[in-house]
Amino acid sequence: MPNLAFFEPILIFTLLNVAMTIGLYVTALSGQLSMATAAIAGVGGYASGILTVKFGVPFLPAVAAGAFMGGALGCILALLTLKMRDFILKLTTLAAGEALSVLAFNWDYIGGANSFTGLEPHTGVFTCLVVALLAFYVAWRFDGSRLGYAARAVRDDPLAAASMGVSVAQVRIITFTLGSALIGMAGAVQAHYLLVITPSQLGFFVSLNYVIFLLFGGLQTLAGPILGAVVLTALPEALRFANEYRLIVYGLIIVGVMLWRPDGLLTRTPLGVARRILGFTLRPARLPKGALRAEDVLSPILPGDGVAMTKRN
Amino acid sequence: MDLFLQQLSNGLVIGSTYAVVAVGFALAFTVLRVIQFAHPDVFMIGMFTGMVAAGFVPGGGLAVALLGGAVGSTAIGAIIERTVVAPLRGRDVLTTLIATLGVSVILQNGMAVIVGPDPIPYPRLLPARFYEIGPVLLTLRQMFCLGLCALLLVLASLYVRRTHIGRATRAIAERPDVAAAFGVDVRRVCQITFWLASTMAGLAAVAVGSLYGSASAFVGLLYGLKAFICMLVAGNRYFEAVIAVGLALGVLEALVTGYVSSSLRDAVAFFVLIGVLYLRPNGLFGSYAT
Repeated sequence: MPNLAFFEPILIFTLLNVAMTIGLYVTALSGQLSMATAAIAGVGGYASGILTVKFGVPFLPAVAAGAFMGGALGCILALLTLKMRDFILKLTTLAAGEALSVLAFNWDYIGGANSFTGLEPHTGVFTCLVVALLAFYVAWRFDGSRLGYAARAVRDDPLAAASMGVSVAQVRIITFTLGSALIGMAGAVQAHYLLVITPSQLGFFVSLNYVIFLLFGGLQTLAGPILGAVVLTALPEALRFANEYRLIVYGLIIVGVMLWRPDGLLTRTPLGVARRILGFTLRPARLPKGALRAEDVLSPILPGDGVAMTKRN
Repeated sequence: MDLFLQQLSNGLVIGSTYAVVAVGFALAFTVLRVIQFAHPDVFMIGMFTGMVAAGFVPGGGLAVALLGGAVGSTAIGAIIERTVVAPLRGRDVLTTLIATLGVSVILQNGMAVIVGPDPIPYPRLLPARFYEIGPVLLTLRQMFCLGLCALLLVLASLYVRRTHIGRATRAIAERPDVAAAFGVDVRRVCQITFWLASTMAGLAAVAVGSLYGSASAFVGLLYGLKAFICMLVAGNRYFEAVIAVGLALGVLEALVTGYVSSSLRDAVAFFVLIGVLYLRPNGLFGSYAT
């Protein structure tokens, strides 16, 4: 029987990473892949930390405040990047994250370069499990809601979505805020496990980890980010036997998966298209009666090819 | 005033190295639509192969080190192009970003296994000599670094503007499909561009290693982010704009270090980036549509 104490941190980090990657998935659902995940989580962490340490607020309200601050930051970022195109948006979020990291570094009230300390441990495996499940539930309900479909339509083609009556700005702000609130919540819980928040935790290279989790698992299904976060959090631990070579193997696996499955491990096969698994061609799933694909409706009126699948309504 | 001029020249030296790495980044991004996140690590490999090459020649051996750096970085660049970048060409920018990031992890940690995770001393390939130019004091190493980078940038600029393949490079940046229709061998030009960017990085790396007198497997982290920002702030339409922004960033950082505080130095680039992206999302001088 292996020692449970050895597995506990791994389990906690896996669950928290799952929650954060799900938050990133929600944000990315409308095509805004944020590069500031760590900064949002850090803001959630700082907010909850300041409340518990300096104002004696209990743990749960502090976590809620962390989620609120994360969401607020997401909302600001969404407003800031509303008019920006895909690629530039990613970079603006990146720069915003780095700027926040520098701000935290130079702000003495929250510890500055010496880190924010004095937090009390409140987080265990159970708390993290609740957080991960909550994030999953929110994302799952969002995924199948009208807003979720609208978000995908915006991601695939903002012009087409707008012409079908979707408010692109509204959808983008809501998804960014919701996803960031989930990330802020996970960040607040994480802060009460690590018991210290350092400004470098907010940096770009930490944020990039979550983007890797998401793209490794694939951002077409909700299962993708979960798989990506679980595999890539556990992998470096599982590779401990390889000692100093483990990060090399980790890099090789990432490169290999990207070459072998450029869209991530889990992908979605559109209805009516034949699925291929291990070289076998499966019969295509039949479209439900009366289902319309966006391209059927929009291709005569719009340039380019819309690929959004719309719900029959 | 003396402090200003001194920091200005120090900034230009650092800025020229940013510019060389940024230009390599920009070439790969404009032509191949790939964010080559392993480019700074190609730079790092060049630094170490240059050091190994210099070790074969007793007493310095600057030319040998430069040759070693160029050969090492070009070889690693060619391998990356062949195994990772070429198979993923035409894919989403993010897919290639993650893949080259994986390459970067492999290179950094692979080198850390060989030389250890801590910085190691780099051979001083040039004598420690000072020159006073007016009120400004420059070392020979600084002048060599600045001169070499300036030479590389001028050559690169001439290559892009005046040679046949260079023009093909710009044609591909503008419209790959039309360039192909006019008989440009897109695959070949992409390959050559990638090799040249790697060679430049390797040469500059040897000068930087000699300038600071230390080399680390993780030197790429700093350079990568700075070079990336230079490319974004400048936009990728004009090659020379990337160079100008690289130099300007170096100078700005040096001035902030001199007049404000050195802890804010690394933040300068990010504040500039946010401001520029907000006001001019395509960079100061415009970008090609992606």
